[in-house]
Amino acid sequence: MKHVVSVSLGSARRDHQTTAVILDQAVEIVRQGTDGDMERARQWIASLDGKVDVIGLGGIDRYLVVKSQRYEIRDAQKLAQAARHTPVVDGSGLKAVWEPHVIQQLVEMGLISPHQKVLLVSAMDRFGMAEAFYTMGFPTIAGDLIFASHIDYPIQSLGELEEFARKLLPDLIKMPFSMLYPTGSEQDHTVSNNAYGKYFNEADIIAGDFHFIRRYLPDQLQGKVIVTNTTTRDDRLLLEERHLQTLVTTTPFLDGRSFGTNVMEAALVAISGVRPEDNGWADVVMNAGLQWHVSRFEGAKGNASH
Amino acid sequence: MLKTLEHFAAQCNANSRLRQMNRDWTRRIAIVATDRAQSFWLTSQEGVITAGEGPAVEPDLQIQAPYDIIQAIFSGAMSPTEPYNAGDLLVKGSQDDLMRLDIITLLIWGE
Repeated sequence: MKHVVSVSLGSARRDHQTTAVILDQAVEIVRQGTDGDMERARQWIASLDGKVDVIGLGGIDRYLVVKSQRYEIRDAQKLAQAARHTPVVDGSGLKAVWEPHVIQQLVEMGLISPHQKVLLVSAMDRFGMAEAFYTMGFPTIAGDLIFASHIDYPIQSLGELEEFARKLLPDLIKMPFSMLYPTGSEQDHTVSNNAYGKYFNEADIIAGDFHFIRRYLPDQLQGKVIVTNTTTRDDRLLLEERHLQTLVTTTPFLDGRSFGTNVMEAALVAISGVRPEDNGWADVVMNAGLQWHVSRFEGAKGNASH
Repeated sequence: MLKTLEHFAAQCNANSRLRQMNRDWTRRIAIVATDRAQSFWLTSQEGVITAGEGPAVEPDLQIQAPYDIIQAIFSGAMSPTEPYNAGDLLVKGSQDDLMRLDIITLLIWGE
């Protein structure tokens, strides 16, 4: 059996161990959080090197891929380099292929429509999703500067997003990751009555990283659709309390449960032997039997995987 | 140095995108050249940046570094990140303000 371990900078409260069947093969999956402790994560990765098939990096992006340019976050690079033999993946290769496909399917199924306004809370970590929204004609605001840097400037076109990425990312990737993204207990903090509520209020669709969404989540979400990644049971309760209409989780469902993208990517690499930078990676992802998931609240109760 | 800071301020003020970004960023920034005992300041108010020489009054952000590093940062020869990571640039204030300064310099001189 293949064996993958996800080492996450997120909370250890979400640790789990399970066996999943992917591409007709059983894979043992272990997730271990380090509560934002970078050094503990590095040591843990070093101790796993050569002992498991693939290591996933959770709670941190290693690569930000914008157009064909790949930027490597320095702190994540240091973590990955703790493994000399075992491949280390972060889920960015899966997101790049899978998330545009999910957006396309949501449109085809009539769950979302290009006339709806989109707030994508962070786009540089999921450029594929951003590109899908912009090119399909959704009026889209990318909130990278707003939510990651607290600069009240909405990015409103794909061209501007690409320009910002070209100018900013070569330098920002050298910053301590904790300056770019909430880690550990920071992920649990929420900001009420914040200045950025207007962007949430104006959007029909709120998309992107759920840690950013939850941090600035407004009290009322009637009529809105959230398209995001992993959500916990508590997250879903929170969204229901705030009267969200529809929640779409792009994080692949398999065997009835959700896995982080780094975990799924690690499993796919372990089974297929194909890495995200290899030709054929997109085929591996699209043929893996992955599903996204939709939950409807506010009376239109029900759940479905697609 | 004052000319460098004034030029930096002029470039910010001539950039409509930066003016929009900084429209709600009201700050007094003290800049101290540690190896020359020289002080300068920048202020940001309603999107307009102003530069001057001398100590800043009740600054929100203090930047301390050797003269050449400050000169390099505000002339676009170096971004603040590298000297900050190396410990050559000391910042007293919020990380958000440091990040914003970094982004301002990158939007003027990045690529």
